Amino acid sequence: MLKNYLKIAWKVLLRRKFFTFISLFGISFTLMILMVATAMVDHLTGSHTPETHMDRTIFINFNKMTSETKNSMMNSVPSYYYLQRYVMPMKTPEKIAIGSTFKGVNSYVNNKRLSLDLKYTDANFWEILEFNFLEGKAFNQQNLKNADKLAVITDYTRDQYFGSDVPAVGKSIVVDGVRYQVCGVVEDVPISRFNSYANVWVPLSTSNINKGDISLFGEHMAIILAKKPSDIPKIKAEYQHIVRQIKVPDPQNFDRFASYAEGILEGVVVRQLFGSRYGDDSGMGKFVAVVSLIVLLFMLMPTINLVNINVSRILERSSEIGVRKAFGASSRMLIGQFLVENIFLTLLGGLLGFLLSALALQLISSSGIIPYAQLTLNWRVFAVGIGLSLVFGLLSGVIPAYKMSKLQAVEALKGGQL
Amino acid sequence: MIRHLFTLIWNRKKSNFLMITEIFFSFLVLFGVLSLAFYYLNNYNKPLGFQYDKVWVMTLRWNQEKPLEIKEIQSRLKQQLKSNPEVEGVAFSSVNTPFTMQNMNGGFFYNNRSVLSSFYQVDEDFAQVMQMRLTEGRWFNDQDQSSSYSNVVINEALRQALFKNEPVIGKVVAGLSGDNKNPKTRIVGVMEAYKQQGDYSEDSPGYLEYKKLKKQADSTNVFFNTLLIRVKPGVTSAFEEKLTKQASQIAKGWTLEIKSMNEMRASHNKVALIPLIVFSVVCGFLIINVALGLFGVLWYNINRRISEIGLRRAIGAASGQVYRQFIGEVLVLATFGVLFGVVVAAQFPLLQVFQVQTSVYVTALGAAVVIIYALAAGCAAYPSRQAARIAPATALHEE
Repeated sequence: MLKNYLKIAWKVLLRRKFFTFISLFGISFTLMILMVATAMVDHLTGSHTPETHMDRTIFINFNKMTSETKNSMMNSVPSYYYLQRYVMPMKTPEKIAIGSTFKGVNSYVNNKRLSLDLKYTDANFWEILEFNFLEGKAFNQQNLKNADKLAVITDYTRDQYFGSDVPAVGKSIVVDGVRYQVCGVVEDVPISRFNSYANVWVPLSTSNINKGDISLFGEHMAIILAKKPSDIPKIKAEYQHIVRQIKVPDPQNFDRFASYAEGILEGVVVRQLFGSRYGDDSGMGKFVAVVSLIVLLFMLMPTINLVNINVSRILERSSEIGVRKAFGASSRMLIGQFLVENIFLTLLGGLLGFLLSALALQLISSSGIIPYAQLTLNWRVFAVGIGLSLVFGLLSGVIPAYKMSKLQAVEALKGGQL
Repeated sequence: MIRHLFTLIWNRKKSNFLMITEIFFSFLVLFGVLSLAFYYLNNYNKPLGFQYDKVWVMTLRWNQEKPLEIKEIQSRLKQQLKSNPEVEGVAFSSVNTPFTMQNMNGGFFYNNRSVLSSFYQVDEDFAQVMQMRLTEGRWFNDQDQSSSYSNVVINEALRQALFKNEPVIGKVVAGLSGDNKNPKTRIVGVMEAYKQQGDYSEDSPGYLEYKKLKKQADSTNVFFNTLLIRVKPGVTSAFEEKLTKQASQIAKGWTLEIKSMNEMRASHNKVALIPLIVFSVVCGFLIINVALGLFGVLWYNINRRISEIGLRRAIGAASGQVYRQFIGEVLVLATFGVLFGVVVAAQFPLLQVFQVQTSVYVTALGAAVVIIYALAAGCAAYPSRQAARIAPATALHEE
């Protein structure tokens, strides 16, 4: 039965090539754009080298002080003091790493400026994050204690500073006027993963941290690794317990201190855009609603278009429907047939969409809009794409199939109106 | 004729419903993207307010020095850099120099009104280094140093928003402090524009505030994080390394980063254009999609009406009349979609949703209407011509 339906579907596709082209174009391009969008989100928040354990990694990127009565708010990166005093002693996590925000520094090679981004990190940073080492290795706890002037650099930095593919480990690099010895070379990290991104990483102990400064705001962030994914809620609870006990340092202007340990999507993207200004709500619900609405609206137009075309196509085949009805085919069978045909078409379009999106992602990656980003189709994005194709097929198939099934046999044989 | 067409479409509104919806949504999407495009274009055509070419930006990050020590080093740094023959001028500025993501703002108060305004703290050489243009008043000079007021140069946008046509030069106002009884801010000049956020941004209200590096009253704060250096024509980037070395000799252990404002502008503008490019691609795709669909459906519908056409031709309608009828029908169809669209789109300027000038919305609305009609007519042209070519005899014979 199914085989027969598919055969008919194929023949119908070949009969009116222009209509087939329009349908396939609509489906494949809509899917392409949706998949590029999902790949972007996945690129921002999914597990990618070096942030490979996203299911059990959370971050502390922002501290917030607010006062609803004074209408004041301060939202900024935590200080080193804060992380040392309140975050490091936490019990539940497996490991906690501290890194500074990256800062732009200059380096000079043959009279040419090389703008690099430098990050200070501790030793745990290299244990939690799994960088792809091309040569050498990271600095360790002992190096940190000795404040050794060691540096891990990226592929890009090596190529620019030492020349293309010249081994760099053991050589020294002058960054920001300080001489560091290169101990490792890693693959480039996209700038969008700002918790791990830099061109040069050096030990935290080589930076000038003012020990006397007890401000809660500064320029360091924490990466927390849980033992297993189910530990994340426990860690969050422990952290909130700590946060609640912190006194607001400036009670004249602020009356509430807040800070959250959470994933990138929730903490960095959603909370900053949709989060409530004074409360705890991260705005995730609002975010999901807005995104669904946009996707729905975006898919609405191609769907209406497909429905439109499908209605015309089915009308064309009214005599075929009439014959089948006259020979006793039920409405349900006909609906089934047309849905199968439509889903077949949609999946075909979906397949084309995959090819197109692979091409588009390749183009975006090589254009360098997001430095060092390699957007790739992976199985998660692939699954989203397949799911969307099916939704699409159902959405655009149901209405015409329903209309068609209501056609009377006699009417249909005469080539009647819907 | 036109009334007749409207009734025709209206009578078949059920079967035309999907097409009208499609046109309606395309219109809204077009309107949105065009509004953004015209907004950018509108901003781009207005003066930037300064000359970015040949300006280098040096950001300074110090360690644990006290404010007075920092200021002392900064002042020596300026002297040293200025002494190079390649350098035309050096000025200090707060961290929010042009083409950075940094921004500082607050309410600027005058009488009972206030307007959210950006502020930039600069020294006396800023105007010369950035080659700012004044429309009224003067730049900061020596007599402002000892003044007990905080002296500012405001931009035209701020003047328009707060003072309208009142004279502003020499006026003492509440300014940022908002204290109307004890006003401390004195306006000494009005500058043409200052689009700190780049070419595509709006020239929003803003003012420059004069800060003197060695003023006693300010001794606990450090205002300047940035040195702006204007180099003479013909100086290449090879001079950068020398400049950085010189600077790090004086500011030992500080993090110094040099960038050319030209480069910063290029990358900043690129980032600013990303949303427009993304939306345009998506919109373009949707429109192509809709156009193809419209074309297919029209073609099909017109083919189904061959007998009707044959009949009309047989009783004496010229082929031109048939052609005009079909084009007319599609345009009427488009009119329904556009009418609904205009009702929705008109809410944006009426409710002032994004505080964008009404003229931007009106232009976008007009352009969207024109494009939709052109699109509809374009899609109908080929099927209508085919219909008009049908010979009455063949059509009636088929029937």
